[in-house]
Amino acid sequence: MLCFRIQQVDGGFFEKFGNLLREHAETTENRESEEKRKVEQIAECLRSDECASTDTEFVASSGDSDNEAKSLSSDSEDEKDKTDLISAAFNFSLNGNVPRAKPRNNFRGVKKDELRRQTSMYLASMTIDELYAEILYEILHNVGCDVSVEIGQTALISYAQDAFKIPNNKHNQLLSEAEKKEAPEFLINVEVIEAKDLKPKDSNGLSDPFVTLYLASNTSHRYNTSVKYGTLVPTWEEHFALPISDNSIDDTLCIEVWDFDPAESVKEKFGRFFDVKGVKGMRKFVKEIAVAAATGQHENELIGVAKIPLNSIPASGLTMWYSLDKKNKATRQGVIKIRIAFSAEKNRQVAAQEHRHMLRIILLHELELSKVAQFWWCGTFSPQGEALLTQHIAQSGLTPPEVALCQWSVYTSVHQNHQLSFSLFSKLLEKLAKPLRSEEDLKIFWDGAKKLLPSCFSVIRKIRKRDFKDKMTMQQLTEVLNILGNIKMMEMPADVDLFPNNMYPWVTFSEDTKRDILTVVADAVQQGADDWFNHITENNVQQVENDVGRLQYLIQAIQLVKSDLQKALEFYDKLFQQTINFQYAKALYVFYQAKISALAEPDVRNICKSLKKLSFTGFTTNETDSNEPLKEGTTLFELYLALHRFVVLGKGLCQTDSDSFHIRNFYQWFHGGVAQWLDIAVFKALQRIEKAVELDKLVPVDTTVRYSSSAVDTISIFYQVKVFWQQLNWPDVEGCYTFIAKIIDDICRCCVFYAERMAMRVDGMGVQTDEKKFEVTNEWCLAINNIEYVRQSLQPFTDELGMEGVIEKLADLKSAMEAKRCQDTLNTVIANAIDTVKNEIIALLETVVKKMVPAMKRLLIEGAELFNQDSNSIDRLMLYVDSNLSTLHNELNEENFNRVLEIVWDNLDGILKEIIQSNLEKRRPPSFFANLHKTLNLMLGSFKANDLNCEELKKTELKLKVNGLETNDLIHLVHLNLYEEFKNLKESKYGVLSVKAKFENNNNLKVTVMNARNLLAMDSNGYSDSFVRIHLLPEHKFSGIPKPKTQTHYKTLFPLYDENFTVELPTDYKSVEDGLLLFSVKDKDMLGYNNQYIGEAFLHFKDIDSSNTPMDDLPQISLALGRPTDLSTEAIKALESRLGDKQAKEFLRKLKQRMGTS
Amino acid sequence: MASRVNMRPTNKNTLLKVVILGDGGVGKSCLMNRFVSNQFDEHSFHTIGVEFLNKDIEIDGETYTLQIWDTAGQERFKTLRTPFYRGSDICMLTYAVDDKHSFRNLQMWKNEFLYYADVKENVQFPFIVVGNKSDVEQNEREVSQIEMETWCTENGISACIETSAKNASNVHDAFAIAVQHWLKLETRADKNDCIYADTVDLTKKQSENRTSCCINTSDE
Repeated sequence: MLCFRIQQVDGGFFEKFGNLLREHAETTENRESEEKRKVEQIAECLRSDECASTDTEFVASSGDSDNEAKSLSSDSEDEKDKTDLISAAFNFSLNGNVPRAKPRNNFRGVKKDELRRQTSMYLASMTIDELYAEILYEILHNVGCDVSVEIGQTALISYAQDAFKIPNNKHNQLLSEAEKKEAPEFLINVEVIEAKDLKPKDSNGLSDPFVTLYLASNTSHRYNTSVKYGTLVPTWEEHFALPISDNSIDDTLCIEVWDFDPAESVKEKFGRFFDVKGVKGMRKFVKEIAVAAATGQHENELIGVAKIPLNSIPASGLTMWYSLDKKNKATRQGVIKIRIAFSAEKNRQVAAQEHRHMLRIILLHELELSKVAQFWWCGTFSPQGEALLTQHIAQSGLTPPEVALCQWSVYTSVHQNHQLSFSLFSKLLEKLAKPLRSEEDLKIFWDGAKKLLPSCFSVIRKIRKRDFKDKMTMQQLTEVLNILGNIKMMEMPADVDLFPNNMYPWVTFSEDTKRDILTVVADAVQQGADDWFNHITENNVQQVENDVGRLQYLIQAIQLVKSDLQKALEFYDKLFQQTINFQYAKALYVFYQAKISALAEPDVRNICKSLKKLSFTGFTTNETDSNEPLKEGTTLFELYLALHRFVVLGKGLCQTDSDSFHIRNFYQWFHGGVAQWLDIAVFKALQRIEKAVELDKLVPVDTTVRYSSSAVDTISIFYQVKVFWQQLNWPDVEGCYTFIAKIIDDICRCCVFYAERMAMRVDGMGVQTDEKKFEVTNEWCLAINNIEYVRQSLQPFTDELGMEGVIEKLADLKSAMEAKRCQDTLNTVIANAIDTVKNEIIALLETVVKKMVPAMKRLLIEGAELFNQDSNSIDRLMLYVDSNLSTLHNELNEENFNRVLEIVWDNLDGILKEIIQSNLEKRRPPSFFANLHKTLNLMLGSFKANDLNCEELKKTELKLKVNGLETNDLIHLVHLNLYEEFKNLKESKYGVLSVKAKFENNNNLKVTVMNARNLLAMDSNGYSDSFVRIHLLPEHKFSGIPKPKTQTHYKTLFPLYDENFTVELPTDYKSVEDGLLLFSVKDKDMLGYNNQYIGEAFLHFKDIDSSNTPMDDLPQISLALGRPTDLSTEAIKALESRLGDKQAKEFLRKLKQRMGTS
Repeated sequence: MASRVNMRPTNKNTLLKVVILGDGGVGKSCLMNRFVSNQFDEHSFHTIGVEFLNKDIEIDGETYTLQIWDTAGQERFKTLRTPFYRGSDICMLTYAVDDKHSFRNLQMWKNEFLYYADVKENVQFPFIVVGNKSDVEQNEREVSQIEMETWCTENGISACIETSAKNASNVHDAFAIAVQHWLKLETRADKNDCIYADTVDLTKKQSENRTSCCINTSDE
């Protein structure tokens, strides 16, 4: 709930930028599949939209769109149009015999060439009537076994009449003419191919076979093959044309295989004696010799005969193995392979020409009859049509390649108006690929190719109008690509213009580039993509007329394009690559990337520019409706991500040249946008932080942690910024580096702001008006913990921004040194951020402590005033400090608690100094300070610190202690300080004193002053007149005790005193703390009036032997002499402050004498 | 930095964000490095985007921590440097005295700064103009001190100085003058703008000890 309210501040700005953006990315695939579906829908609607227009387009693409072509597509059933259609297909004029046919002089430009060629041939005057008559004649004189049996002459004739649309009277006339015509001279073409399993006829186990063939009706006309010597598996492959008459259908073709027996002398035969094999062979050999010897001539021997009735042979001919038989022999004598075909003796070109016309007429007739759909017809005629064509082929003697070429020519031509199945062409091309063709044939072939190709390219162009899931689509594409692949492999004559401009209105040919299949495929692919892209941009309507709408529009466009690419990859690309070695998807990508760049770049740049303007119009905390730039920013970066994915796709698709694509640098369009967005993000973040703090109830978010909701909210903002940055995946490393610097700097700003807001939030808390004191509350601690929590998130946050990788890349891109500098900068920025926030925490801690100060001060003073009388106030102080500190101790982490303590010490020090100073000025008695000192010690004891870690406070405490001492004690403190000071003296310019001392019999002090060395010369003669006086300190404890002194030793710096003293001490001397012996060495003045101080030395009671050792056995003690030098000690300062104290005054006066300065 | 990472809040200095702008090659990075670490590298590289350094400076007994953002002068870095303008306290416009073109570009730099830093129009911003490379031979000099001063007067900029990062002359002074100039405007702004103090200023930079929160870049 809270979270929601915070998001409301900015409409979920950060969620949109971070998580949502990421989710967007994660769900891309899902969405894209959905897009695919959309694409399909669009494609579906495209198909239905343009179904009608497809036809017109093809017509248009086939050249000058004359009336006939249009009428073809207009579904008119008008008879006249049909005739037109035929004449159009026929390509030359119908003569006046068809009354309703328009005389036609103008033919389509495309076909004029063909027409001209045809006219140049003898066929120029040929009419449909003539062709029809020819067909009728052929029907009447059918060859082969099949046709007349299965269909019958009458059916064929009526079919032909329908196909040619010949009126009855005309038909009858032509039919009678045909009947009158003499039967045609047919030829039966026989190829003797090979034989096997022949019986050996010669003595060597082999034969020398040859073949004789003849018609049973004409045995005198024989044809012989060559002789194949010494083989039982001869191969002849020899052709024979045997003329047959019309009625020879009942004739029989006889094939005889003979063993050749050359005229060979007996002697020659004997010469081959050793070739003879086996008993059988020997018998044959003997027989041969006998025959040769008897007749003197040779005789060929029949191996076997095959008889083939001509009526068993189909009109289209056959190739078959026939078995060879011999009279009186039950076993097969071998088999022979024979190819037999009918043919007529016709001019080949004329026959081909006739066949093309006939094919066209029959095809058009059948298309009309069957109403077969576009692209469906794949070469199957009705039986009648098939029979007519077969008859024509047979009777004209057309070879299969010739027939294929005719089909190619006719089908491609018809295809221009009525698309036939591409598989038809694909198969034809396979047949046509090999046979060598004459120049004329080549011309026909390429003419056909020229007609066919536009529809092939059209299929490629309009690939999107088909359902890619339909098997037929893929099959068709496969066929088209096969066709293109086959044509591509063929060598195109130089004079053929395969791609005339008028057939390719959609290609913008540049004049100088050579056009070949691949370039036009590329053009077609590009054109198709262009159409699709235009369709996308036109039909994908921008929903809202503003920048966001525009961006959404762009995203949609990119997604549609991308799904088109994916479809291309998934379905078509492999096919293109395998069949024609064309990188379909890549070509699409190259095209699309340029299009998208051109489409998106200006918009993106503009919108990025205008972001700034939008974002900073009157931004204040009250205003929460500045969501427009946010929305825009979100959409902008969705577009960024869409482009990013698009570029990644391109990298995979075009590994080698993706670097040259304009779109590669798409991120540069967004540059200003990112910078602006980061700025906006800061403002949004600050806004949200403010709200988060406001809504924070200042209770831990759960029992395991010590921070509250606003810290979590703030960190989640950072997290979203980070997620956004990771999503951005900025490709440019220099940009990465600077953006990271910017982000860190901004986050730091947010942290500081959070700290400030947090401090403000708790500022009024904990003040107890009734008691006029400030209570450290859990809220305060939470505030501090919150900031600490946020601060601690900084380092991990920066780590996750990917700094290291960026620095490494910088080192690669630039130099290690520059990378180092960048790294330094980032580290400095981070350290700065962390440090700044830490200072914020410290500032807050100080605030807390400062709030405690007045109460602490008041309590301290009360404690000092009333320490003994009213212990209650001390208790209250202790309670106050104790409860506050234990709150802090419980709630804060150790680091911050220690910081608090330090700050407390620091402040306490300040308080004490102030109290001491003001009370010294008030000349408060030492007891005041002593009480204060006691109070302080009590207080320190209650602090949770183990050691007092504050030097300043230690000094202040000392000062307090000193000021709390009575004057006597203070004086002794001075002496003790001196003792401590002199103890460490190693050398002295004043001299060294040697003494012995011991305690004896409980209360006797025995001192031996032995001598002094190197005394300072005090007199002008360079000597001193020295004596030593012994004092017992502290003086007030030993009042009334004599202060013995030695004799004066004149004019020597090495006096040998050697005097023993026994001082009787009070019995309780041992209870005197820190008792001292002071030896003061003086220079005796002549008058004994103004003795000069040479120096002094101290001996602490604890250093004086108290055992039973005799004095003589004790080691002598060397004491370096010193003089007081420092008047600035706290003790002396305290004495000085006791202005009305005579004792203090006197002591100081004497002390100054001892210093030798007076 | 090290001095600031202590347990005690030793640094109670005012933080001032300084941005150094100017054509590529006039010696911005050199100025900063001379000022911060008293080093000079004749063959320093082009700055990539931005560089950042801290430096304490004492003015009239008060210590200020300058957070210096050195920027890349090349045009191609424009989009990378401009995000750092916002929140600046001081802008140092630099040129090289042996490069007239860099001097002419000062206007462009000033405009770029004002645009991207979002400085309010009627607020006088503490610019300081620095003519670097004052160590060049007289015959190589293309911009005279007078020209600089004239330009500054025309553009309402009262702080300008010639420096040499190479021989260290005036470098510290340049920054000192900049801070003093800021102080002067700050004091004035304090007097003028305090009536706005109740408006929350979200652009406030990280100078937690700043006496005022309503200076230059505020959006009220």
